[in-house]
Amino acid sequence: MPGTTTDTWIIGLGEAPTAVTRDDVSITELAWEAVQPALAQAGTTLQQIEGAITASQDFWDGRTISSMSVNEVVGGTLGSEAKVASDACLALGYALSRIEDGDQHLNIVLAHAKESQGDVHTIELAAFDPYFERPLDPDETVVAAFQAQLLYAQGVFTPEHSARVVAAARARSTVLAAVTPEQVLESALTCDPLHELDRAPLVDAASALVISDGDTARRLQRTGVRLVAAASRTGAYWNQRSSTLHDAEPAHAAALDALAVAGWQASELDAIEINAPYAHQHLMVGQALGLGDGEELVARFEGHGDGPTLNASGGWLAGSAGSVAGLHSVVAVLERLRDSGGRALVHATSGLASQSHHVVLLEVTA
Amino acid sequence: MSSLPVRAAVVATGQTDHGRRLDASMAEIAREAIDRCLESCGLQFDDIDAVVAGNMEMFEGIYLVDQYFVGALGALGKPLYKLNTGGTVGASAALACYHLVASGRHRRVLGVGFQKQSEGSTQSAITTVGDPVWERAVMAGAIGNFASMASTYIAESGVTQEQAAKVAVKARRYACLNPHAHLKLPDITVEQVLESEMLAFPIHRLDFCPSSDGACAIVVAAEDLAGDLVEHPAWVHAVATAHDQQYMGDSPKRLAVMRSLQAAAKKAYGLAGIEHPLRDFDVAEIYEPASYAELALYENLSFCEMGDGGRLIDEGATLMDGQLPVNPSGGVLSTNPVGATAMIRVAEAAMQVMGQAGEHQIPDVRRALATGYGGNAWTDIMILSRERPRASAEVSTE
Repeated sequence: MPGTTTDTWIIGLGEAPTAVTRDDVSITELAWEAVQPALAQAGTTLQQIEGAITASQDFWDGRTISSMSVNEVVGGTLGSEAKVASDACLALGYALSRIEDGDQHLNIVLAHAKESQGDVHTIELAAFDPYFERPLDPDETVVAAFQAQLLYAQGVFTPEHSARVVAAARARSTVLAAVTPEQVLESALTCDPLHELDRAPLVDAASALVISDGDTARRLQRTGVRLVAAASRTGAYWNQRSSTLHDAEPAHAAALDALAVAGWQASELDAIEINAPYAHQHLMVGQALGLGDGEELVARFEGHGDGPTLNASGGWLAGSAGSVAGLHSVVAVLERLRDSGGRALVHATSGLASQSHHVVLLEVTA
Repeated sequence: MSSLPVRAAVVATGQTDHGRRLDASMAEIAREAIDRCLESCGLQFDDIDAVVAGNMEMFEGIYLVDQYFVGALGALGKPLYKLNTGGTVGASAALACYHLVASGRHRRVLGVGFQKQSEGSTQSAITTVGDPVWERAVMAGAIGNFASMASTYIAESGVTQEQAAKVAVKARRYACLNPHAHLKLPDITVEQVLESEMLAFPIHRLDFCPSSDGACAIVVAAEDLAGDLVEHPAWVHAVATAHDQQYMGDSPKRLAVMRSLQAAAKKAYGLAGIEHPLRDFDVAEIYEPASYAELALYENLSFCEMGDGGRLIDEGATLMDGQLPVNPSGGVLSTNPVGATAMIRVAEAAMQVMGQAGEHQIPDVRRALATGYGGNAWTDIMILSRERPRASAEVSTE
């Protein structure tokens, strides 16, 4: 059953400068770079914060209880913090419940990752079945490649379409250099049919929100952005969906859950952000969300199709990190809609071969 | 303090038979607890709206363990929240179940904590809790950590090794009354504890918790469903969480002075109207990884004055026939499958309230305390009661 929300507000946004390597700061400092502007924008201080929900992964941080690095900078010293090991959109859903049940009036949602410090193959290998799969030494790109093969075999999408999604994202990036579709297709083949540039580059990133209940938002005179709904659905582990790996049905189900709570129609959305680590997964999710097929869908990523441009903020492919990507999109889309107002859907995925899908709905009053 | 829109209760619990479970995989362990939990309240997987999983995945080395075990956890097609908060994680998951229901977002939420330590290297993973630059080189897993804290505690409070050994004896004897417990030692004596191998002063082998495989599951349900699922729901009256600072050196008297526990208890007691914990609670299930920790918990949970923890065990106040029975299940000292351990505290407290604790049932339990403890002195507290809150406005959280 999807949740309900009526009176929860996002009153502050903050992000650390994203880069391929932020070796000038520790994880704690990176997080603080995101939290500080969010607090300032909310017009509040760490002392007023009643709790925090953070998103990160122990494996990427190389640290059991990875949130230990950050709970001092989210008000967790003698205060409340809980860590969700997934994309921050799921953490945002949990934070929403803490506001909605009256547990907290003012809290922080923080996501952080320093992917530059991780050994990607070793980490991803650990997500595979230890008995039957790890001896084959796979990583996430291997199953993403299986997925892409299945997707392309449907005859609706091609590697060229994926390359154009990458190019559209990188054209909007403030972190990564622009690339052409041809450069994507000519980049190193990592696992057929995927090329190096099909995957979002690893970066160091942190994003933060301050959220509050309605009374607090009105007291602080920050009622511009409402967190309307959050929903999530979990699919099967990758090896249990060998023939449907290219199917993003849980994304569709999560979006329907969220839209039902909001009482919105998909046609009322002014912004849609899809987040996944591989380009072809954007096509899968877009198709599952009913946003179009083939050329029609790709055109929407490029900004010349019918309806709002998909990933107008760039999304994960334009420079974000695992755990952070969903929250980065929330921050980006809210900044973009600040003047115009509007309704936004932010999607994010987590797990091997986009196993879980998370959706949040936001409403901005100009 | 603000009102909750939905009152919520623990309506079902399930546990594995904890121990060294070479007969079952991690997935089977989790499923064993879930099946027992759902069977106890007559629910099916289709009745569950969302699942919250607690597990420390670096221990067994399985990244995205919740996604890998989605089928075993019964979470296919549902929201699946994976919490990852150290030793506390089972309690953190239980609190999340509660919040997801109390917020009105879901009506029946399944919480699952699981760990199979026999397939992993827990102490290696725990060593990574320390800051990689300043602490990790001198970390030696949980035992060294507790040894330094217990030494400070002895110096500060005057507690004796004999008093700590009494806690170890209490736990292992009570474990014999609990069909799920791992370490059952019916004939254990104080002398045996003191003569057991010294792991790191002042922690003897029998002063410390075992390394267990096991799982625990609970169902938290909304107020309009709870009464139909169990005769006496364990109503949630308060929850609280608090942490200490990141570095051990930031709070050098940790254990002797448990600032985070005091902060969380102050909030929870205030919300639930607890004025005199020793009198107001009928039973407590507290997270004591070492014998010394239980004595320190007595003090920091205000069961007694600071420095009086040893006296409390000497007087028998926390025995099953004492004023406030503590850990009649045998506690963490008898069973420690880390991802499940703190959820077991919640489940055991709920079982006492629901009247389902079998041979270790304390008579006439109306109100119970459960605590979780983990790295960074992470503390979770849940207060459960036989009494249904009279009105939503009276049920509050931090």
